[in-house]
Amino acid sequence: MVMARSDSTIPIPPRIRRPMAGFGLVLPGLGLLLLFFVLPVLALLLRSVLEPQPGLGNYAEFFGSTTYLKVFLNTFTVAGLVTAVTLALGFPVAWFLAIAPRRWSALLFGIVVLSMWTNLLARTYAWMVLLQRTGLINRTLINLGIISEPLALTNNLVGVTIGMTYIMLPFMILPLHAAIRTIDPAIFQAASLCGASRGQSLRRVFLPLVAPGIAAGALMVFVMSLGYFVTPSLLGGTANMMLAELIAQLVQSLLNWGLAGAAALVLLVVTLALYAVQIRWFGFGRTAG
Amino acid sequence: MLLDYDRLGALRWLLGGISLAVALFLLLPILLIVALSFGSSQWLQFPPPGWTLRWYRELFADPGWLDAVLASLKVASIVTVLSVLLGLLAAFGLVRGRFRGREVLRALFLTPMVLPVVVLAVALYALFLRLHLNGTLAGFVIAHLVIALPFALLSIGNALERFDKAIEDAAVLCGASPWEARLRVTLPGIRLGLFAAAIFSFLASWDEVVLAIFMASPDLQTLPVRVWGALRQDLSPVIAAASALLVAFTAVLMLLAALFRRSKEP
Amino acid sequence: MTPPFLSIRGIRKAYGDAVAVEAVSLDIARGEFVTFLGPSGSGKSTTLYVIAGLLEPSAGDVLLDGRSLLAVPSHRRNIGMVFQRYTLFPHLTVAENVAFPLRVRRRPEAEVQAKVKAMLELVRLEPYRDRLPARLSGGQQQRVALARALAYDPPVLLMDEPLSALDKTLREEIQVEIRRIHRETGVTILYVTHDQEEALRLSDRIALFNHGRIEQVGSGRDLYDASRTRFAAGFIGNSNFLPGRIAASGGGRATIIWPDGSRIEGVPLQGQEGGGEAMLMVRPERMRLERAAPGRSGLPGVVVDRTFLGDTMHYTVRTPWNQELAVRSPLAEAGDAEFGFGDAVHVAWDAEQTRLFPGG
Repeated sequence: MVMARSDSTIPIPPRIRRPMAGFGLVLPGLGLLLLFFVLPVLALLLRSVLEPQPGLGNYAEFFGSTTYLKVFLNTFTVAGLVTAVTLALGFPVAWFLAIAPRRWSALLFGIVVLSMWTNLLARTYAWMVLLQRTGLINRTLINLGIISEPLALTNNLVGVTIGMTYIMLPFMILPLHAAIRTIDPAIFQAASLCGASRGQSLRRVFLPLVAPGIAAGALMVFVMSLGYFVTPSLLGGTANMMLAELIAQLVQSLLNWGLAGAAALVLLVVTLALYAVQIRWFGFGRTAG
Repeated sequence: MLLDYDRLGALRWLLGGISLAVALFLLLPILLIVALSFGSSQWLQFPPPGWTLRWYRELFADPGWLDAVLASLKVASIVTVLSVLLGLLAAFGLVRGRFRGREVLRALFLTPMVLPVVVLAVALYALFLRLHLNGTLAGFVIAHLVIALPFALLSIGNALERFDKAIEDAAVLCGASPWEARLRVTLPGIRLGLFAAAIFSFLASWDEVVLAIFMASPDLQTLPVRVWGALRQDLSPVIAAASALLVAFTAVLMLLAALFRRSKEP
Repeated sequence: MTPPFLSIRGIRKAYGDAVAVEAVSLDIARGEFVTFLGPSGSGKSTTLYVIAGLLEPSAGDVLLDGRSLLAVPSHRRNIGMVFQRYTLFPHLTVAENVAFPLRVRRRPEAEVQAKVKAMLELVRLEPYRDRLPARLSGGQQQRVALARALAYDPPVLLMDEPLSALDKTLREEIQVEIRRIHRETGVTILYVTHDQEEALRLSDRIALFNHGRIEQVGSGRDLYDASRTRFAAGFIGNSNFLPGRIAASGGGRATIIWPDGSRIEGVPLQGQEGGGEAMLMVRPERMRLERAAPGRSGLPGVVVDRTFLGDTMHYTVRTPWNQELAVRSPLAEAGDAEFGFGDAVHVAWDAEQTRLFPGG
């Protein structure tokens, strides 16, 4: 197949006719974003310092109260746990996916992608069914004699972790897989010729080369877990509520807009800070979707 | 050696084993739900004591569920059209345009995709309270459009960047006006990107839960909202039936997308 | 006097402080094949793009049949163009590609079909009419691009290094095709290339570009035998550049002298005055080797390299002051003197065949 070449010796002639060429085309989308994204969010954040009284009262309340602080810490705990587990499980899978023969890798890839695109609620529901006291997992364990009483696997940290890991695995596997694919296998042949053993190759060549991919995937899963709403609400209990559900409750049940705005700002700041870290260290190379 | 499948030795079994376990981990719950939707046990016993279509009948007989499906379809369809349109315009502006702040704008357009949805949901809820847009079709469409647009922009933008502008120039020299050239040559040239944008936008709206929860009213609920409400009450197998349908829907769409891509690529 | 068919007048194109093209002027007659030749970045493509209307010049004008082209938008200039990159419309078949410019002009269907057939026959690709571009080779794609560019009988055809992406044999085949099509259609062609052999093979006239300006315009012969600048002499063909000193001059001729005392007399002056440093240029095939002997004219030297090239023998000779000369001798007859490594020789040439440029 012959492809069009982008020859760098021929300059692509720019049509420099107007200084703001093309801006008009962006306006409709930009308008939508400004009106229905930027401004409303800013308004919400403003309310955090204006309601019920101007000042930082909401933040004092948020960081002062043990309940809210617990939510904050719990969110980070879950996010960290989920990231660790998905990394531990996802890395071998990504590795296998990158090198396995076509048949297996295509099948595996299809399963991962299907999982990612299947409706979130359907997937979470599946785990609610599996993890409930009379669910398949408990009954299997009881039947096998491993336990005598059903375990509490839902409405707690365990349930949330399992459920979130299930959701987040594809988001760890796919970027990692892409990162591993960029490594030329010949490098390991060269390392072996240089005298490196398997373990040394792993430590000194593979891991350093894959590190940016790992960091990107881990960061993405961590950030997504921080702000997640659906799965933690359904599989977690009130005892281990996460930030997203807190914000929703503050608005829907308690009508506490000021505090909701404060919690939202905290969540946003942490999210943006983490993205800034990623950009600073790894540039804009996001493997999004 | 580490990236050479044939030379991995024992490591191959380790990686393969974990991959198999993970694959089963990912696949089995989905299959379970589909199986349970045909099972006769109300308490979702597995293996089910018998097989039945009862839950599907209940599902289709319930006007609440049907209304929800229709609502989802309506919202998703409108969002798809608008998202592809706005995305197309914005992509042309961002890829071909020459103005300052292009990169910043491009990043801004992608932010709804990367920030926690609950913040947007709550913010829009507040705004729509003032504008009386909560529980309206317009409200739903606007909210979903905000998160669907980044997907459309990414797909179309990528396709446009990969399309060699010299081909469009050649069309102009052949006598087509600049807009005619874009319509007759560039647009067909990026149709894969347009198609992907449409699919992603549709799915983004169809599957969207958080925004929908806040935008919904008792009169207007999308399918995810309905499922969410049902889930918080009990785990009836009717939900399994609904979930199985959702899974089938996704699988069919993915298949279509794969077939389409296979047929268009030379 | 009839106005020239295509007149390029004082084109200047600047990007901020960087000037790509400066004071480019050229008159082209109807039906001529003119090549813009020059190294990368010399401004030849930029000039072509200005004529096509894909770039706006900072100054200057382009007149076609007496009327300014600049006022006319690109899609109405009725100019054909073939790019270096493959620009066939990927979603249309070969026939539909060629038909495109006619459909855009709303020509009647019967006329479109007839023209498409004629064009495809012209480039000898009629059997491929229902293929998609992705299934064509590079050479075939460019031929279809050519057919498409000629489909609406443009007065001028622009070609921007259309063959650079192809391998040598294919390139030469299509060059022959292009010459044939030029003869059969009589269209005026402006061709851009950095390959001087291609330029010599295809064109009636060559405009040599360097650093955004036209250094010399003329036939291939003009540029080869009568190069006006050092750059022109070096760009076309092979050349020997010898720095020397003008010892004496008069009557339009000069005597050049070298560090070891060797001298050559009767070298035609090209506008230089008096003494001083000079740069001589002599083509390798104009030089000949003779056995070293006292009293011989020419430059002394030692053969340091020799290569058999089939029809010629290529020698590299080093002079006592470490100047290396390339000498090309035809192997016409057996028994012609052949020289070996280390042989002491004299390099001689006809003084008339020397080009003289300012030295330093």
